[in-house]
Amino acid sequence: MKISKKTYDWLETRLGIEELIGKSLKGYLLPRNINFWYSMGSILLFIFALQVITGILLLIYYVPDAEKAFNSVKAIMNEIPFGWFIRTCHVIGASSMVFFLLLHMLSVLFMGSYKSPRELNWLSGFMLFTLVLAISLTGYLLPWSQLSFWATTVATNSVGTIPLIGDFLLEFLRGGKLVGPPTLGRFFALHVAVLPVTIAVFVMIHLFLVKRIGISTPPFGLDDTKNRWDDGKFRYEDHPGGIPFFPHYLLQDLTSIALYLAIFVFFVFFTPSLFFPADAFIPADSLRTPAHIKPEWYFLANYQALKLFPNEFIGIIVQALAMTFIAFLPFLDRGKEKHPLKRPVFTACAIGGILIFLALTIWGHYS
Amino acid sequence: MHGHDRRKFLGLCLGGITFTLMGAAIYPVFKFLAPLQTRKSAGKVEIRQQDLAEGEAKFIEFGGEPAVVVNSGEHGLIALSAVCTHLGCIVQWERDKRRFLCPCHAGLYTESGEVISGPPPKQLPKLPLSVNNGIITVG
Repeated sequence: MKISKKTYDWLETRLGIEELIGKSLKGYLLPRNINFWYSMGSILLFIFALQVITGILLLIYYVPDAEKAFNSVKAIMNEIPFGWFIRTCHVIGASSMVFFLLLHMLSVLFMGSYKSPRELNWLSGFMLFTLVLAISLTGYLLPWSQLSFWATTVATNSVGTIPLIGDFLLEFLRGGKLVGPPTLGRFFALHVAVLPVTIAVFVMIHLFLVKRIGISTPPFGLDDTKNRWDDGKFRYEDHPGGIPFFPHYLLQDLTSIALYLAIFVFFVFFTPSLFFPADAFIPADSLRTPAHIKPEWYFLANYQALKLFPNEFIGIIVQALAMTFIAFLPFLDRGKEKHPLKRPVFTACAIGGILIFLALTIWGHYS
Repeated sequence: MHGHDRRKFLGLCLGGITFTLMGAAIYPVFKFLAPLQTRKSAGKVEIRQQDLAEGEAKFIEFGGEPAVVVNSGEHGLIALSAVCTHLGCIVQWERDKRRFLCPCHAGLYTESGEVISGPPPKQLPKLPLSVNNGIITVG
């Protein structure tokens, strides 16, 4: 008997691999009309894993000290073999994560998958979205360049506008009145320890909920597109006669990941400086603010929206209310219909929201 | 039969592409993690002869490793690796006894690097040394 067969048999008798594969993978049936958009979660998991790997690699050479941080990043880019590659992957990966999170959320919105009983799936996903924004913001400061220093100054400044406790919160967040070496220490700890662990925990909660409640049925290609769940008691949404996750949908997941990788590699090799404007190559100088400092693209809409309000605090309150509304949408939208064309008011509002976001982003970019 | 051959061929192609792509991903990571090459070619170290009185030893870094130059008087100037040949600890110069002691397991070497006692299996490697116009050059 071959050694590989012997090892397999040994593991089989102890773990019951065949039963596990049969039950959890081949027996895990998905709706027959499942589509490409259901693989966004797998792409996001893949990006998160890649961010963790490239992040750990960068940690080997990065020095979280205000005196040395910029030079350590410069050494990564210019001296360490393939350092530019690892860092570019990390930087483009960060933006990709936000972009695919938005796509994932939009697909869930339009297919009505956030509706009962999946309120917690949506809420945990929304938490993941805010955590990813937070990890992007904290990571932005670490290169200690003019860009990172002043973008962080502008981004954290909004906290100070909160009445009564704003100043205290701002000072607590920065570790001082202004952005400085203590801020770097705090943001570094948040970026490499607190936030990745919190994200991992929320990913597990999110996956547990997806598996426990069952995959939602897409509203396309069906006559009855209403939510079949009744408020009575817990029921796993099964899909008899559906598509097995393994190997069928796993192949779709791998295809989507391969497609993502193709786009990702294109950006890494053909536009490596996409997220590095000139100020990213100048060390931080707390006495000289460069002109036209702007946040990353995913904060541009918020940045531009703040300028439209006469008072910054009102701007923040409006944005906070909008975010809260999106977070609690499944609790507010109790309609049974899932098909986007059969709920025109919702679809019109959603498209309007996307257009406003895009317009503010473009306006913010060119303002 | 044809279908079976085609499946095998496609499987081989897929395996080959996966293997190549894995290699393309692993190679940069390996190079990124590999220690930076120590500049051995430019590894000449110079010290002033007047800074090294008779019976004195000066510890330097040569070729990325600790080394020592000793002015023994009787044997002249000697350059040695300062890494103990037993387990790699750095030897210490005992000026009054004119010998090297390894603090880890009490290995003893003469001023020219020969083993006197203790666990070291061989002498301290000698390094090339020259003196010109009062400048000692190691390497």
